[in-house]
Amino acid sequence: MTIKDISKTFFAKLAKFQKNTKTSVRDPDSLNVNVRNYAKNKDNGPIVFMKGITCRFGNLIANQNITFDLKKGEIHALLGENGAGKTTLTSLLYGLYQPESGEIYVKGQHAVIRSPSDAINLGIAMVHQHFLLTLAHSVTENIIVGLKSTKGIFLNLDKAEEKILQISKKYGLKIDPKSTVGNLSVGEQQRVEIIKGLYRDVDILILDEPTGMLTPMEEKALFEALRSMVNQGLSIIFITHKLREVMEVSNRITVLRGGNVVGIVKTSETSEDELARMMVGRTVSVNQISQGSISKTTPPTVLEIKNVSALGNSNVLFLKDIRLDLRKGEILGIAGVDGNGQNELAEVIAGLRKVKYGEISMDGRSIANLSPRQIRELGLSYVPEDCLHTGLILEYSIIENLVLDRWYTKPYSNKLFLNKTEMMKFADKIIADFEIKIIELNAPVSSMSGGNLQKIVLGRELSRDSKVLIVHNPTRGLDIGATEYIHKQLIKQKENGVGVLLLSLDLDEILTVSDRIGVIYEGKIIKIVEKQNTDIDQIGLLMGGKAIKT
Amino acid sequence: MKVELQRKRLISFRSCVPFLSGGFAFVVVAIILSLAGVNPIMAYGVMLKGAFGSLHGIADTLVKTTSLLLLGLAVAVAFKCKVWNLGTEGQLYIGALGATLIGISIIGSIPILGIIAMLAAGFVFGGCFALIPAALKVKFGISEIIVTVLLNFVVLLFIAYLLHGPLKDPTTVFNPYSPVIFSESQLPIILPHTRLHAGIIIAALAIIAVYVLLSKTKIGFEIRSVGANIKAARYAGMNVTKSIFVIMGISGGIAGITGAVLVSGVQHLLIEGISPGYGFIAVIIALLGRNNPFGVAIAAFFFAALMSGSEVMYRMLGIPSSLAITLQALVLIFVLIGEIFARLQIHKTENAMKNW
Ligand SMILES: Nc1ncnc2c1ncn2[C@@H]1O[C@H](COP(=O)(O)OP(=O)(O)O)[C@@H](O)[C@H]1O
Ligand SMILES: [Mg+2]
Repeated sequence: MTIKDISKTFFAKLAKFQKNTKTSVRDPDSLNVNVRNYAKNKDNGPIVFMKGITCRFGNLIANQNITFDLKKGEIHALLGENGAGKTTLTSLLYGLYQPESGEIYVKGQHAVIRSPSDAINLGIAMVHQHFLLTLAHSVTENIIVGLKSTKGIFLNLDKAEEKILQISKKYGLKIDPKSTVGNLSVGEQQRVEIIKGLYRDVDILILDEPTGMLTPMEEKALFEALRSMVNQGLSIIFITHKLREVMEVSNRITVLRGGNVVGIVKTSETSEDELARMMVGRTVSVNQISQGSISKTTPPTVLEIKNVSALGNSNVLFLKDIRLDLRKGEILGIAGVDGNGQNELAEVIAGLRKVKYGEISMDGRSIANLSPRQIRELGLSYVPEDCLHTGLILEYSIIENLVLDRWYTKPYSNKLFLNKTEMMKFADKIIADFEIKIIELNAPVSSMSGGNLQKIVLGRELSRDSKVLIVHNPTRGLDIGATEYIHKQLIKQKENGVGVLLLSLDLDEILTVSDRIGVIYEGKIIKIVEKQNTDIDQIGLLMGGKAIKT
Repeated sequence: MKVELQRKRLISFRSCVPFLSGGFAFVVVAIILSLAGVNPIMAYGVMLKGAFGSLHGIADTLVKTTSLLLLGLAVAVAFKCKVWNLGTEGQLYIGALGATLIGISIIGSIPILGIIAMLAAGFVFGGCFALIPAALKVKFGISEIIVTVLLNFVVLLFIAYLLHGPLKDPTTVFNPYSPVIFSESQLPIILPHTRLHAGIIIAALAIIAVYVLLSKTKIGFEIRSVGANIKAARYAGMNVTKSIFVIMGISGGIAGITGAVLVSGVQHLLIEGISPGYGFIAVIIALLGRNNPFGVAIAAFFFAALMSGSEVMYRMLGIPSSLAITLQALVLIFVLIGEIFARLQIHKTENAMKNW
């Protein structure tokens, strides 16, 4: 089954659930009773048992009276939206924070975990969302760093390598101990992090959003390794906010929402839509995303990129011979693993990076190496990847941020002076149109939430009367509701005849909204296909740089 | 809402920080004074009396305020665009040179126009001179901090050369002075029998001009944006290069006006020591005033009072004026500490708010 099918059935089921407002979330307390019962029985008891855990950051309650148990030999998914408290809960188990109240039992023993080294002594390792490896060192050096046995004068690298190879073979985590970490792919670096834990003979592994930056291929390999680990007696806590993944890999699921446990279910007894409802706390309404209508006549091209090459940040040729045409009224999704040239491509189009060779034209006019302002005036809108720091000036008010691209034009200023009244009028309109929640019109936007900040940039860029819209990772870090909102906006733009170039790391997102899909790999667009003619495996292979045999 | 309140409280706390820091500095100097066997209360009393106790004292304080305020504005305005202009001392001298050339020329003998032309010459000379570091920064990426500091020395030596050679008043033999400017181009005294000249009005106008420039005009918006977030400014289509040139021109121009005011209002001729290191105190003043025109005015007044007060303290009690410099340095150190502390607090509340 492809993602497309899954999402289709998902949406259909959701529509049904809209009518059925009664929630069937299982009561976590009744489960606690069970847990308590077998906590007494040490052998069959959970290997980790966290009871009544509360953790605060200032006024914010990140975890509230949470009870969580991990059985030996299971993959237990911790599911929840961004900010639900997943990382916090596992960080407590790993000794990074101390709970305000509550108790932790590991292997039947009451445990006070003050630091990660306490955790490792108890057999617990954690692989973070962001890796903590030193890129200049070898795999082996990264793995043995900090171990007691390495504190002598001489390192016994051979012995360590041998052990690493053993672990690698045992669980199917392919790695070359001698290679330098900086040369490894994201997936390989993750394996190093996992082996780093296993090398310390832990039997409980916490993985925090491990699939975020993997290609579908790498993801598959990871899941296989995880299964092999639990088959050999390890226990795994798997943190994610992706429904598809929990269904695929976990045995049990604890769902968190706003710092509370909203349910604990067996994977075999639940469905994606039940989980979605628990995660969000309401029924998600996603309109059927309109399929790209295939008209017989190809619409005119609004953005044409011909053999463009450009330098990367380290001044070596990074974008190589990019060829791409974006048509009026379509969404062209560009899939790819992070760092394969997405940002460089967007910047080259927007005039923020020099075109070294080649030609770019928008609506028939050459725009290569024009200034960013000239390109914008010719009809470009651009929602950058790092919205917070590139798309906004955080110490400015929402008013100033909304006119950041047009303050110098007619109603907003005259020859010399700014016109605050007109700016305010415009801001009021965008705030209403995009349902932006503000506290104070004149306060710096730095105090607003991520979703609202994203909406400011979106509101500004979509209200330009543009021909081409570039959006780069528009929904990263947003919850389901906000994501859905943004997707609708993109489709509206497309229906208005704008050519939308969607650069995204989220393959699901690309498959949901695009009409055509391209893949970027090592600075090259290696293929562009109609969505009708693709499946996820093919895209996955391409993202990993594997050419397909046809 | 609670968080919002907390935030407001923090912001008002932040504006108190410079005053608290100043207080601390005075306490520390008081301790030093008593260790040296001087009654600190008496010493501060003398200082206060010196700065404000007489018409002359007040006038002297205000004359110093004028120069410090203008130079502080020059530094602050550049910093709004995140450009460090540490060369206001040099730009002041170049401006003073331009003003002197006008003042001793035939134009200087025309009433009113003479003064205006001197100020304009100060602005143009100082501003153009400040474009050198701007160009080096934009074209070659050379740090303006280094260039502006080094150019100060170049200027001081150049002025010394001029005053010992081509520009030297032919009627004097020993003193390296320029000729005196025409009396028509001298700024009028506004408080009779004191040294208080009309330059203070120019300084007040400069505050308003800078405020309007930065917060009401188009170019001001662009400059502020580049200063606040250069990446976002570029992304939004703003012209970073232009902003840097404009702001350095304005900053150097204000410094040049300061030189013109010193020539036209105080010395009436160009000498080597026309600025007793104002350019360096100006950096402290800009920091203390948080680059806000009105904050700069307050800080300038404070430092002017400190300077004229400590001169009197030196004359009356024999306390070395280096103690005044110690006090200035202590104020700066305490302000910086307080600033970091306040910023941390605000950062914390803002984070807390985001999760609300
Ligand atoms: N060190 C911290 N200081 C303050 N707030 C934090 C900190 N870590 C997490 N939070 C807040 O706690 C909440 C839960 O965060 P987290 O556990 O990271 O969620 P998740 O991993 O489910 O996305 C969020 O609102 C987050 O902003
Ligand atoms: Mg997290």
